[in-house]
Amino acid sequence: MGTFERAEAFLRDVCETSTEVELAEALAIVTRELGFSYFALTHHVDIRRAPQPAIRLHNYPDDWVQYYDDHSLGVSDPVHRASHVTSVGFAWSEIPRMIALTPRDREILARGDAQGIGDGFTIPANVPGETHGSCSFANPAGTALSDDHLPLAQLVGAFAFEAARRLWRVRSPLAMPAPKLTDRQRECILWVARGKSDWEISRILGVEHETVVRHLKLARERYGVAKRTMLAVHALFDGSISFTDILKR
Amino acid sequence: MVTLADSVPNPVRYPPLQGMFEARKRVFVDLLKWDVPVLEGRFEVDQFDDEYAAYLIVACEDGRHAGSARLLKRTRPHILDSLFPELCASPPPSGPDVLEITRFCLGREQSANDRLETRNSLVSALVRFALDNGVTTYTGVAEMGWFQQILAFGWRCWPLGLPRIVDGKMLGALRIDISPDTPALLAANGIYRPAPLERLRFLQAA
Repeated sequence: MGTFERAEAFLRDVCETSTEVELAEALAIVTRELGFSYFALTHHVDIRRAPQPAIRLHNYPDDWVQYYDDHSLGVSDPVHRASHVTSVGFAWSEIPRMIALTPRDREILARGDAQGIGDGFTIPANVPGETHGSCSFANPAGTALSDDHLPLAQLVGAFAFEAARRLWRVRSPLAMPAPKLTDRQRECILWVARGKSDWEISRILGVEHETVVRHLKLARERYGVAKRTMLAVHALFDGSISFTDILKR
Repeated sequence: MVTLADSVPNPVRYPPLQGMFEARKRVFVDLLKWDVPVLEGRFEVDQFDDEYAAYLIVACEDGRHAGSARLLKRTRPHILDSLFPELCASPPPSGPDVLEITRFCLGREQSANDRLETRNSLVSALVRFALDNGVTTYTGVAEMGWFQQILAFGWRCWPLGLPRIVDGKMLGALRIDISPDTPALLAANGIYRPAPLERLRFLQAA
């Protein structure tokens, strides 16, 4: 069987699953067939605190998962952070060239290694307006990774993440659409994200101070948040404003 | 509003389509740095922009271009065969009921939210067009980040081969199968925006 025929057989198994348990079993089989030992398909959130139902399927050792959750690594994991700067799968050994690693990051990577998790591939799965996610395949510590597997892992990872989205959507009906902001509210939030005070924003936009206060108050109410930082974060998260909007001059 | 334009002899010289060619230049050349021809420093236009191409165009409220896609007949030369044959493991689907989606373009002037709405309208129009015209399958080539988004629309997709690195970008070819239940699949993902397609009557210049 050619490599693509093998991929198609995996994808069929992954797409036909109708429960989380089945999907995890299908992924475990693909993982083994590809010559890996571990897989993890996950949203990048602190799984114990996530407000929305979040995806996480894996076959990592229990001790590692316990440590991971105790330290809320879901949001700070260097593997996850690296997957936010690319849309293409990457080997973990590439991470130091992708993001700046802190001593703490190096400790986390070393700790994974000590738990028997070696090098791996991570396939980013970033859908606009949703929490970032990824699908990873890893070798036992001490086993080298073969680049030949990357295209296949890429394809399986992409379809597996979509299969998981489909299952989770059934469990949690479509999230509410993003609150609709007025153009003026959006503009004010952009300046909040750039660190401007209400008074500064009123000077920039050439309107009354009170007007800016009112725009931002209404915008906070639409998102149900009390603080301006959270307002900017929510508007970024649902796509009402983008990083490009904030950073461009 | 969504407009359908087809059978236009020299599309880039047809004023109602020029906003689209300008937007394509800003997106594919200026933003994505694709190595594709630019005409008069304004229009991104290639050898497939001819009378056999069809265009779906989403307009802003003021009538300007917001988003567009180009459809190529798979009975004519098209991108998958001409430029990326190595992305397909076996000969890709072909015939009168298969079209290739190319130059899926979302104007840069919109906010991120408006861009998603334009995307939703355009994807819905592609489905409407297929159902109205007996098209059962679309094919396309996508970079991996966009590939994941295409899967997330919820319609039926299948890869045509393993992804490959082409000019430093990982690309994948895929087919999208369209059937009467496709609108419901998009709706389940919250992206179906039904709207009638206005056909642009091409008027021969006097």
